[in-house]
Amino acid sequence: MITTSRIVFRPALPSDYVRLYQIESDPTTAMTWRYRGMLPPITEYEPALWKQSQQIMVVEGRTSGVVVGYLQLHDLDLRAGNGWFSLYSGPEHRGSGLVMEGLMAYCEWAFGNWPIRWLYAHSFTHNVKNFEHGMRRGEAVRLGVLRDRMVVDGEKTDVHVIGIERESWLASPLRRRFNTLRARSFT
Amino acid sequence: MTGVPARPPADASWRLLEPSDMVFVYHLVTKVDPRWWRFSRHGLEPSQMLETARGTAAGVVVVDGYGAPVACALLVEAGTSGTGMLEYFALPNPDAQALARRFASDLVGAAFAGAPIRRLYYERFENDPDVLGEVGALFEGEVTFPNFAMIDGHYESRTTCVVSAERFTEWKQAEWKQGVTE
Repeated sequence: MITTSRIVFRPALPSDYVRLYQIESDPTTAMTWRYRGMLPPITEYEPALWKQSQQIMVVEGRTSGVVVGYLQLHDLDLRAGNGWFSLYSGPEHRGSGLVMEGLMAYCEWAFGNWPIRWLYAHSFTHNVKNFEHGMRRGEAVRLGVLRDRMVVDGEKTDVHVIGIERESWLASPLRRRFNTLRARSFT
Repeated sequence: MTGVPARPPADASWRLLEPSDMVFVYHLVTKVDPRWWRFSRHGLEPSQMLETARGTAAGVVVVDGYGAPVACALLVEAGTSGTGMLEYFALPNPDAQALARRFASDLVGAAFAGAPIRRLYYERFENDPDVLGEVGALFEGEVTFPNFAMIDGHYESRTTCVVSAERFTEWKQAEWKQGVTE
């Protein structure tokens, strides 16, 4: 668990599933990589949620106690030393920065607890702006773009592949700042 | 007479993968380990490999003039978005690799003809031997994962390449026209 002044980052519990389902039911999320518009009914949600996933971490607002989003570690490849992550934000919390703060906590947690050198993510063009700051600062890199990779709502769309390297994260000023703020949240 | 190889009883060719070919596929995976990453990433436990192989949409084997399999191509991840992934490996010897290159364009054509695919992906490590031959030039690199995995003590990058159905068809038609004029 990682706590900052604004968020609590912790493993998902079965009692979170209804909220996670609510987040994934939002139309802008439902058409993403995972379910491609075919979100299963809530009774079949748990196995679908955990399919190919190693761990699910939720981001909770520290004062509100509301789960604002979650991150998944999935398709872990221990022989190569990499894994993939997916990031979901509740529609009413997009733009608040809470889930992106959760992503910093996630990098700290993933690289600190799993033997991985790289974290990868797929991002549709309309979501990739969330990674642009990180790519400009150098914590994340765009490894390439799969042109017309997916069909979403009948339209072909590009899929960007984002990478975060362990060494880059460990050396990044952003990480230092994050951990400084994290330490201050307890003083 | 010694020193002259016997002429094979038939020409080399390719055919659809059959359940009995799984023994060859396993043999091939072990020969190129860990380059066929779909299988090798989990290690070489046979039941795991069979489970992974069950997820393939279609497959073919290239056979030499004696009918012995020397290469295998699988079409995987053929999904609702009209894309698929070609995985193609040959036994690590020059004859097998040459046969793989000879049939590569047929197999790419068969993938497009046999499945509703508009874009066909192919992933390779930087030091993988060439098995695509001239059709390989049609594949454009889109994503490179630097230092993806360790092979023989060195990290190798892995690149995802793609060819569209239109690009392949144009190339095939141009090749056919060239053949007619010659």
